Amino acid sequence: MSTAQTIGVDALPAVLAGVGVYKVFGPKPHRAMEMAAEGISREEILRTTGNTVAVCDVSFEVARGETFVVMGLSGSGKSTLVRCIARLLDVTRGQVTLNGDDLMAMSEKELRDVRRRNMSMVFQHFGLFPHRTVIDNVAYGLEIQGLARDIRRERAREILDVVGLGGWGDHYPQQLSGGMQQRVGLGRALAIEPEVLFFDEPFSALDPLIRRDMQNELLRLQAETQRTIVFITHDFDEAIKLGDRIAIMKDGAFDQVGTALELLANPATPYVREFTEDVSRTKVLRAGNVMKPHEGETVGPTVGADRSIDAILSVLLETTDEIGVVDPSGSLVGVIDRGAVISLLEPGS
Amino acid sequence: MTTVAPTAGLPLALSGLRRYWRWVLLVVGFVILQAVFSSADEFPAWFDDTFKDPIDRAGNWMQAHRRTHVVFTDFFTPLSDAVRWALDSVESALLWVPWFVLPASVFLVVARSHGWRPALIPAMAMLYPGLIGLWEETVDTLALMTIAVFISVAVGVPLGVWGALRPRAEKTMRPALDAMQTVPAPVYFLPMLMLFGIGRVPATFATVIYALPPVVRLTTLGIREVPSHAVEASEMFGATPRQTMTKVQLPMALPTIMTGVSQTIMMALGIVVLATMLGAGGLGQEIMDTLSQRRTGRGFAVGLAVVAVAIVLDRISRAVVVTDRSKLPSTRTTLIAVSALVVLVIVGFVTGTTEFPDVWDVKTFDPVDNGVDWTRDNLRWLTRWFNDLVVAEFYVPVRDLLIDTIAWPVLVFVVGWMSWMIGGRKLAVFTTAMMLATGAIGMWSPSLDTLTQVVAAVALSVAIALPVGIWAGRNPRVEAALGPVLDALQTIPSLVYIIPAVIFFTVGVVPGIIASVLYAIVPGIRITALAIREVPEASIEASQVFGATPRQTMFGVRVPLAAPTIMAGINQVIMMVLAMVIISGLVGGGALGFATVSAVKRSEFGNGAEVAFAIVAIAMILDRTTQAIAERLRPPAAEQ
Ligand SMILES: Nc1ncnc2c1ncn2[C@@H]1O[C@H](COP(=O)(O)OP(=O)(O)OP(=O)(O)O)[C@@H](O)[C@H]1O
Ligand SMILES: [Mg+2]
Repeated sequence: MSTAQTIGVDALPAVLAGVGVYKVFGPKPHRAMEMAAEGISREEILRTTGNTVAVCDVSFEVARGETFVVMGLSGSGKSTLVRCIARLLDVTRGQVTLNGDDLMAMSEKELRDVRRRNMSMVFQHFGLFPHRTVIDNVAYGLEIQGLARDIRRERAREILDVVGLGGWGDHYPQQLSGGMQQRVGLGRALAIEPEVLFFDEPFSALDPLIRRDMQNELLRLQAETQRTIVFITHDFDEAIKLGDRIAIMKDGAFDQVGTALELLANPATPYVREFTEDVSRTKVLRAGNVMKPHEGETVGPTVGADRSIDAILSVLLETTDEIGVVDPSGSLVGVIDRGAVISLLEPGS
Repeated sequence: MTTVAPTAGLPLALSGLRRYWRWVLLVVGFVILQAVFSSADEFPAWFDDTFKDPIDRAGNWMQAHRRTHVVFTDFFTPLSDAVRWALDSVESALLWVPWFVLPASVFLVVARSHGWRPALIPAMAMLYPGLIGLWEETVDTLALMTIAVFISVAVGVPLGVWGALRPRAEKTMRPALDAMQTVPAPVYFLPMLMLFGIGRVPATFATVIYALPPVVRLTTLGIREVPSHAVEASEMFGATPRQTMTKVQLPMALPTIMTGVSQTIMMALGIVVLATMLGAGGLGQEIMDTLSQRRTGRGFAVGLAVVAVAIVLDRISRAVVVTDRSKLPSTRTTLIAVSALVVLVIVGFVTGTTEFPDVWDVKTFDPVDNGVDWTRDNLRWLTRWFNDLVVAEFYVPVRDLLIDTIAWPVLVFVVGWMSWMIGGRKLAVFTTAMMLATGAIGMWSPSLDTLTQVVAAVALSVAIALPVGIWAGRNPRVEAALGPVLDALQTIPSLVYIIPAVIFFTVGVVPGIIASVLYAIVPGIRITALAIREVPEASIEASQVFGATPRQTMFGVRVPLAAPTIMAGINQVIMMVLAMVIISGLVGGGALGFATVSAVKRSEFGNGAEVAFAIVAIAMILDRTTQAIAERLRPPAAEQ
C-alpha cells in the first residue's frame, strides 16, 4: 500500500529501530532477564521471582513511511513495547533509536523536545481531556510547543476538517460518540505533524462498522502523507489491512516479522500458523502479487497494485477482459488472469 | 464417634480452657489485682509538674517575648498582622458597601455559572441574617470563614498535590490529618492562644487546622483518580511535569477538589462558632449569649444564620470555579451585571442606606421563646425524671465505680488486656501507655468522668440510631423521608445542639449527654442504613431460599454482614459524642470539657496541655479500639 512495500524495506533507512529490548516489571529485573535468556518460561519466572517479563529481547526496524503492525493477544506485551519505544516506560535493557539517536540516553529535556516535534500517540481509551473542548484537545500539543493561541486554534481547525470533525470544535469530547472521540485523538496526534505515530489499539474500543470507517480513514490519510507508524492491534484482519509488515508477538517476544504474505506462506512457528490459518488468501494477496508482468497497453479496466484481491473482486466479476495493474504513478506494470484468481477462491488452495 | 469416653470431662474442660483462657485470665487478673490494690489511692500524679511546668514556662515566655523575640517579630507577628489585615479588609469592605449589594452580588455570581434559579437560595441566605438584626455579626463571621477557608485551600491544595506525587509524603501526612480530625477542636485553642494571643487571628488558625484535612485528602484523591492515559497523553506531547499538573491533572481533579472545599467549609462552620472561646466574636458570641439567656427561638434563628453563611460560601466557591466555560454568559451580559452592581452601590450611597434596616427587632422571637418556656415548664416532670434517672442510676454509680471502687491498676490491666484481645500487642501497648501517661499527669479522675459521660451518650445514641438505621435501611421510603431531615441536622454547627438541651435540662451533665446524642445519632443512622442496604441481595435470597423468617434473615444474615460497617458508624458516633461532651463543658458538663474552657479562658497553658493530652488520649484509645473491633468483624479477605 505504500512505497515501503513496493520498493522493499531494506532500501530505506530505518527511522525507528530497537535492539534487544527488555522490559521487566518487578523487584529483581536483572535476575529475571537472565532466566528469560536461559529460556525459562514467563509463568515460571513470575512464580519464582515475582517479576513479569513483559517484553523479552525484541529487535525491529521501521522504515520511513512504513506502517509496522505489532499483533498479539492480550497480555503479550504490546502496550508495554510501544510504551518502551515512546519511552513512556524506561526499558530494562536494550536500545531504541529514532533517526539514529538513542532515546534511552536522552535527558528529560531532550526527550520532551523530541516528543514535541517528532512523535505522537493515539491511545486505546482515547486519553482525551474532558475539561477541554474538542479544539483545545486537538491544539494541546501545539500549546505545549508554546504556539500562540490564535495560531494553534487555526491549525487545529484545519486538522478538525482533515479528520472529519469540522464544526465540532466547541463541543466537549464526552458529548461525542466513540468513533468521533477517537477522531479527536487522531487529530490531536496529527496536529503536531509528527514524524512517527504510535497507535496502541486505537480502534478496538469501537464497534465493527465504526472501526472499519476509522481504518479506511487512516489509509486515506496515509495515502496523502506517508508517516512512519507503529500500530498495535490484536486483530489480524486489521493488521493485514493496515500493515506493511506485521510482527507477531507472543509472551513478550516477536515470533515472526514479515509482510502478510510472508506470514501466510511461511509461518515460522505453530503459533503464527494458528493465526494465519483462517485468513482468506484474497484478503492478503494484492493485485501486485498475482499479476503477470506486462508492459505497454491494455484495453480493460485497471486496478492499483496494492489493492487486495477482495477489493477488486467486483471489477473481476464485471468484465471478461484482462485487468491491468498500475503502480502508484499510474503506469501499467502487469495484467491479471481471471482464471488464476478464481483458483485462489477455491477452498484448500 | 459414637462412644463417649467416660474421662471426656477433663479434656473437655482443658480444651475449653485453651479456648477461653484469655477471658479466664481477664477475670482472674481482675480479682487478684483488685484484692491487692483495693486500698490504692487515686492514681499518683507522678509527672504532673514535670509535664506542666515546662509548658507553663514556655507559654509565659512566649507571652513575655511576644514583642521582642525574633520568632515572633519576624514570623508570628507578621503572619498574625497579615491575617488580621485580611480579616479587617474583608470585613470593612463588606460593611462599606450598601447592604443590598451583598445579596445581589451573591445572586449574580452564582447565577453567572448556574442560572438564576439556583442563585435564589444563596441570595436569600445572604439576606436572612440581616432580617434578624445580625448583619454585622454575620459579616464578621463571613469574613473569618472566608479567610480561614482561603488559607485552608491555599495550604491544602499544594499539600494534596504533594501527597499525590509522593506516596511517602502522603503516608506521613495521613496520621497527622487523622489526628487533626479525631481530636476535639477545643484542644487546638490553647496552642493557638500561645502563638497568637487572643482574638480573631488565633480563631482563624484554629479553624484552618480543623478544616484543612478534607481539602488535602480530596486533592490527593482527585489527582490520583485522573486516568493514567490522560496523563500519558500529556507526557507524550512533551509536556513538563508542571504543565501536565496545571493543564491536565489539576483541572481534571477539580470536581473532587471542590467536594473537599465544600467539606472544608462545613468543618470551618462548626468550629468558627466555638472559636468564640478565643474571643472571635461574631455569630458565635451571639449563640453563647442566647445560650446564657436561655432564649431558644433566638438561639435557633442565630444557628440558622451560621448555616446561611455556610450556604453562601459553598455556592460562591462552586460558582467561582467553573469547569464548563460554554455555559458562561457573554461578556456583554457580564458587563451589564457589573454595571448594575455599581449602580446599586451608588444608589445606596446617594440614598444613604448602607446599613441594614431594622426589620425584625429583638422581640420577634418572644412568642417562640414563650412557647418553649411553657413546654419546658409543663414537661418538667418528664425531664426531671429523665435527668435523675441518668444521673442517679447511671452517671454517678458508673463514675464512682471507675474512679473509686476499681483500683486504677486494675483498670489499666483490664483495658490493656482487652485491647490485646481485640487488636493484638501493638494496640495493647498503645492503650496501656496512654492510660498510664494520662494518670501520671494527674488527669485520671476527670478523664474517667468524661469517659462515663461519653459511654452514657454513646449507649443512648446507639440505642436510637441502630433501630432507626436498620428500619431506614430496609425501607427506602423511610430513608427518603429521613434524608432531608438528616441533611439539615448535619449542617447545624455543634454548639447549636446544646441550646435545646440546656433549655430542657438546665445544667449538669445531662444537657451535654442529650446534645451529644442529638449530634451523633445522625451519622449513626446514616451509616447503619447504608450498611444494611449494602448487604448483597444474593446472600439475602440464599437465606430466604432456606426458608428463613424475615427475623432470621435480619439477625442471621443482614446484621452480621453489615456489622463491620455499622461498627465504623459507631466509631464515628463515639468521636462525635466525645467532641460534644468536651464542648458541653461550656454548660456544666464539668470534667475535661470544663477544664479546657477554663484553661483557655485563664491562659493556663500547663493545665490546658494536660487536659488536651487527656482528651487526645481518650479520643485515640476509643478510635483505635473501635476500629480494631470493626476490623475483626470484617470477613477475611479472599486469598490472592
Ligand atoms: N505497570 C506494570 N506493572 C506490572 N506488570 C505490568 C505492568 N504493565 C503491564 N504489566 C504486565 O505485563 C504484561 C504485558 O502487558 P501489556 O499491557 O503490555 O499487554 P498487551 O499486549 O498490551 O495486552 P492488552 O491487549 O490486554 O492491552 C502483562 O502480563 C501485564 O500484567
Ligand atoms: Mg495493551
